[in-house]
Amino acid sequence: MSADGDTGMSGRHQHALRLAGLTRRFGRRWALRGIDLEVSRGTVLAVLGANGTGKTTLLRILGTLLRPTAGRAEVLGANVTKHPDRVRRLTAMMTPRGYAYDELTGLENLRFAARMGGGAGDASAHRTALARVGLEEAGDLPVRAYSTGMRRRLELARLGLRSPDLVLLDEPFASLDEAGVELVQESIARWRDAGATVLIASHRLAQAGRHANRTVYIEHGRIVEGGPVAGTTHP
Amino acid sequence: MSELARRASAILWKDLVTELRTRQGFSAMLSFAALVLFLFSFAIGPDTELLRRLAGGLLWVAIVFTGTLSLGRAFQSEEVAGGVRLLRLYPDDTRAIYLGKLAANLVLLAVLELVLWPAAAILFQVDLLPHALGLSLVAALGTFGFSTIGTFFSALTVHLRARELLLPLLLFPALIPVILGAVNATDGLLLGDPMGRLGGWVRLLGAYDVILFVVCLWIFPVVLEE
Amino acid sequence: MRAQRVLGGLSLVGVGLGTIAALFLVPADRLQGQVQRLLYVHVPVAWLAELSFFVVFLMSLLYLVQRKLTWDLVALAAAEVGVLCTSLTLILGSLWAKPIWGIWWTWDPRLTTTAILLIIYVGYLIVRSMTDDPDQRARWAAVIGVIGFVQVPIVYLSVFWWRSLHQPPSSPRSMATAFGAVLLLNLAAYTVAFTYLVLRRYRVAQINLELELRGPEEEP
Repeated sequence: MSADGDTGMSGRHQHALRLAGLTRRFGRRWALRGIDLEVSRGTVLAVLGANGTGKTTLLRILGTLLRPTAGRAEVLGANVTKHPDRVRRLTAMMTPRGYAYDELTGLENLRFAARMGGGAGDASAHRTALARVGLEEAGDLPVRAYSTGMRRRLELARLGLRSPDLVLLDEPFASLDEAGVELVQESIARWRDAGATVLIASHRLAQAGRHANRTVYIEHGRIVEGGPVAGTTHP
Repeated sequence: MSELARRASAILWKDLVTELRTRQGFSAMLSFAALVLFLFSFAIGPDTELLRRLAGGLLWVAIVFTGTLSLGRAFQSEEVAGGVRLLRLYPDDTRAIYLGKLAANLVLLAVLELVLWPAAAILFQVDLLPHALGLSLVAALGTFGFSTIGTFFSALTVHLRARELLLPLLLFPALIPVILGAVNATDGLLLGDPMGRLGGWVRLLGAYDVILFVVCLWIFPVVLEE
Repeated sequence: MRAQRVLGGLSLVGVGLGTIAALFLVPADRLQGQVQRLLYVHVPVAWLAELSFFVVFLMSLLYLVQRKLTWDLVALAAAEVGVLCTSLTLILGSLWAKPIWGIWWTWDPRLTTTAILLIIYVGYLIVRSMTDDPDQRARWAAVIGVIGFVQVPIVYLSVFWWRSLHQPPSSPRSMATAFGAVLLLNLAAYTVAFTYLVLRRYRVAQINLELELRGPEEEP
């Protein structure tokens, strides 16, 4: 194993995330300006900041959806630019918009996700995943008929098909009622108990901070403060 | 390899099921194609001999126009669902997306042509049956060539403004060999081939299909990058 | 900078000499008359149109491999100069065809392919103009640059085959015969001018990119 850990092996690395000088620009706009961060495995990290400060960009880079402009990011020992597929296999991501096809049923969407490489493939596993988020009856309805909250739950069910080592949640509490928020918190707890590392990007401290054992704040693409949740106040 | 096939077939299945449930795209294609054929007949006039000679060209123009319409919508469903780039969250080759979409487009066009060719035969009074096998080959080669580059440019332009302008603009030069090859081969079959050039046109079409398919397949992942 | 000025001077002198030679040193063609002199511009410019396309292709490949925006900028410069050359080729072709054949356009395979080349270029430039992010722009432009180039030989072949039965009136290029030295002089002169133009356009593109990337926001 080499000193910097970048062997591409999914061995037991100390850190879940190692970011060094991570930078990303969109034309003239610098969304991330040199993020340095080390997150150990099993952490539930709340990434807080107002909208537009770079949280989503950061998560998208970690999820390999975006290439960094400069700097490097290692997820569970795998470099996001050099071994994106390795990262994808170990990571699950929940985006604010979600991804579901209107004309397919909830079940069919899960089946599609599974066949694309997103986890367990058999129908019973899908039904279980749906039941866990309270969608068991809506499973045979086209997603066209789902409310926004139901769509978010479907997203959660999609994530529930796998056992990822890193979970990236981008604004997971948005558009959810209390019950929905509870479901997300339960999932976070479940992932944590299974030993996964969870990143929660949100602008709401209270919700994101419930299960978090570490917090970072992002402002103008930089980390401004880091530390455990307890004792941290933020307007 | 089978991973690629599994993922491509997942996309193919999804697109076909969606199409079956809405039937939106296909009926739009069908009525548009019928409209084009009829308009051609009226525009050219009642000279049946003229219509017969032009049948090949008119048919392929109708197929290309209609095909371009369906291509414009090929990646729309992905955008509505959340954006085609999110499909990259799944590991492995994004070329599966290209293959799946290409296959779906081919199926749609194949069904369309099953109606169009007989319709053209009736409207333009040409007899297709004696050359059915040859015509099927030409139809397959031409349609494949069209869909190959069409699916590719459709993916590229889905993120651009003025998509409706750009897709035909980019597509047009690429389709010239397809149109020339398909029309001349069709004419060669339907109207006779005194110079024996049919084989050459078919080979041209085949070469085009292979070359463009390989290049598009190879370069596709770049289109989805961010 | 020095190199640029030298090139510029050379281009001016070269094109000037070439034009004088084409107008005065060469007798008028027996069959075509004075119009044939257009050839001395048309042929070099047509060749340059093809060359620039090849440059775009090369630069596109280089960018895809190395991801350095430099290559993309050269491609842009070559593409714009290429549009200029291609348009000139077509206009001169038309101007030549009218007095000789009485029509504005011939379906000569080379001329037709040139027209299609123009459309591909224009598509390339339009896609560029619609993309704001420089990296995204470079990626898509590179893709089109590669695919466009791959298309061209096949397009030419198919048009050639299409027209070969019909014995179309030929284009100025196919008529380029006897007066070789003057033609070569013009060819060289225009190639130098081409290099100069691409270089200058590249410099401008470099500055534009810098402006694009800087802007009011602070640097990291």
